[in-house]
Amino acid sequence: MTRPTEKEIGAVASAAGVPVETQVAARIGNSIGPAFEGFAAIAGTLPFDLEPSTFTLVQTEKAVR
Amino acid sequence: MRTEPALMSLTAVARAIADKQFSSREVTQSCLDRIAKWQPHLNAFMAIEADEALRAADAADAALAKGGRRGPLHGVPLAHKDMYYEAGKVVTCGSRIRRDFVAKTTSTALQRLKDAGTIRLGSLQMAEFAYGPTGHNAHFGPVHNPFGLDHVTGGSSSGSGSAVAARLTFAALGSDTGGSIRMPAHFCGVTGLKTTVGRISRAGAMPLSQSLDTVGPLARTVEDCAVLLGLMAGADPADPTALAEAVPDYVAATAQPMKGVTIGVPSAFYVDDLDSEVAGALDATIAAFRREGANIVQVDLPDQRQLSSAAQLVLAVEAAAFHKRWMIERPQDYGPQVMMRLQNGLAIPGVTYLEAMRWRGPALAAHNAATSKVDAVIAPVSPVPAPTIIESDVGGSPGADAVLQRLTRFTRPINYLGLPSLAIPSGFTKSGLPVGLQLIGRSFDEPTILRIGAAFQRSTDFHEKVPQLP
Repeated sequence: MTRPTEKEIGAVASAAGVPVETQVAARIGNSIGPAFEGFAAIAGTLPFDLEPSTFTLVQTEKAVR
Repeated sequence: MRTEPALMSLTAVARAIADKQFSSREVTQSCLDRIAKWQPHLNAFMAIEADEALRAADAADAALAKGGRRGPLHGVPLAHKDMYYEAGKVVTCGSRIRRDFVAKTTSTALQRLKDAGTIRLGSLQMAEFAYGPTGHNAHFGPVHNPFGLDHVTGGSSSGSGSAVAARLTFAALGSDTGGSIRMPAHFCGVTGLKTTVGRISRAGAMPLSQSLDTVGPLARTVEDCAVLLGLMAGADPADPTALAEAVPDYVAATAQPMKGVTIGVPSAFYVDDLDSEVAGALDATIAAFRREGANIVQVDLPDQRQLSSAAQLVLAVEAAAFHKRWMIERPQDYGPQVMMRLQNGLAIPGVTYLEAMRWRGPALAAHNAATSKVDAVIAPVSPVPAPTIIESDVGGSPGADAVLQRLTRFTRPINYLGLPSLAIPSGFTKSGLPVGLQLIGRSFDEPTILRIGAAFQRSTDFHEKVPQLP
């Protein structure tokens, strides 16, 4: 997963109902792009059988030392 | 000579009022006197309600005289970040859009503090919609750091950090979505507690990110934070995401010695590229922990950059979703920096957002496995002490974006994992700016980080330093 292009950002923003100009899309790409790159190693790797409440379950597990 | 009541801790002043050493009016007047002196320099308050506060103080004194102590904080005046709804009060959320918004309900956290007997001094400044890490605010001006008026307070709980540090309020509610309690605590030399996600109800608190938002206190001591947490924590019918985990005796935890705890020092990320004075404070604090009997070990944490990236994706989308209507209808009413941050959320597809959310459980499990042999992890809150207001002004300084990115790198991963983290004053730079460190605990294990922090404060006096006006 790489940082989105201006064109992709424009399309996603329009679909979200808040269209942005090309210049704004470029700025957004520079700002949020590093987060896409940082998450790239995780994206597309998560198992199918991951319970939706996994976070809360892990959170409330009693710690075992 | 009697002590100036405003200089006392929350715990001490509550005891002094209960014992009738000071009346609530004397205490409230002492705070108001300091506010009058400092507010023109700090811009920490959004609203000062002097007459109402004094009337409430008189009522508290009259009730106490008749044996009607309302709760453990009877008659103690406080002010909070201006995002906690109080029925009938204007709650600006630091914004132009909500400049005249009058709340119809009272937030659960605030109501629980009122039930404990606190009275209201006014409301505190904050970053617009809690979406900024420095203390800048395009509509109401920047909040200034009491330890260096040209420096930022950190945000988004900017007024909370500044007012607690200057002894204008004994404590203040903040909120922490990406570091907004811990950074003002670090930059302003106060104690700040980011609580576990689900520990304190968020009902009636302005939302920024439903997955990451947490309510917590900034105060002068760890013990004060423990008192406030004990009053606010627990289930709430108005917010089912506040879990029914048992509420332990947090104050009792602060009386425990440090001896016997094991504290992890990260082998990477949190120790990289530190300002030399922050690194010095970290080393000195670790040495102090050892002297107090803690066992110090190195921990290898999972990749924190991935956590930080996931946090950014989640926050950006959720914030944009909350603000979408106003982004369409009132774009001109946002400050330019906040609008730009909100627009970032428009670029993230739904599948990417949900992947970032789905990874949260496995990421927390991996963190728990990596820290299974320690009670808490110590880390800097930020790699640097407070930058100046000018150098961190994104609208005015060309290098400000880089400054801002650096500020929040050590706080965001903890929000993604939903963990509690206690920021404690740990030193001062040569130029007199505070340096804080964070103790990161396990989910719902606030007692352990409060225990470590309180033991540290019993052997140090960084938290007692009172700023002076130049």
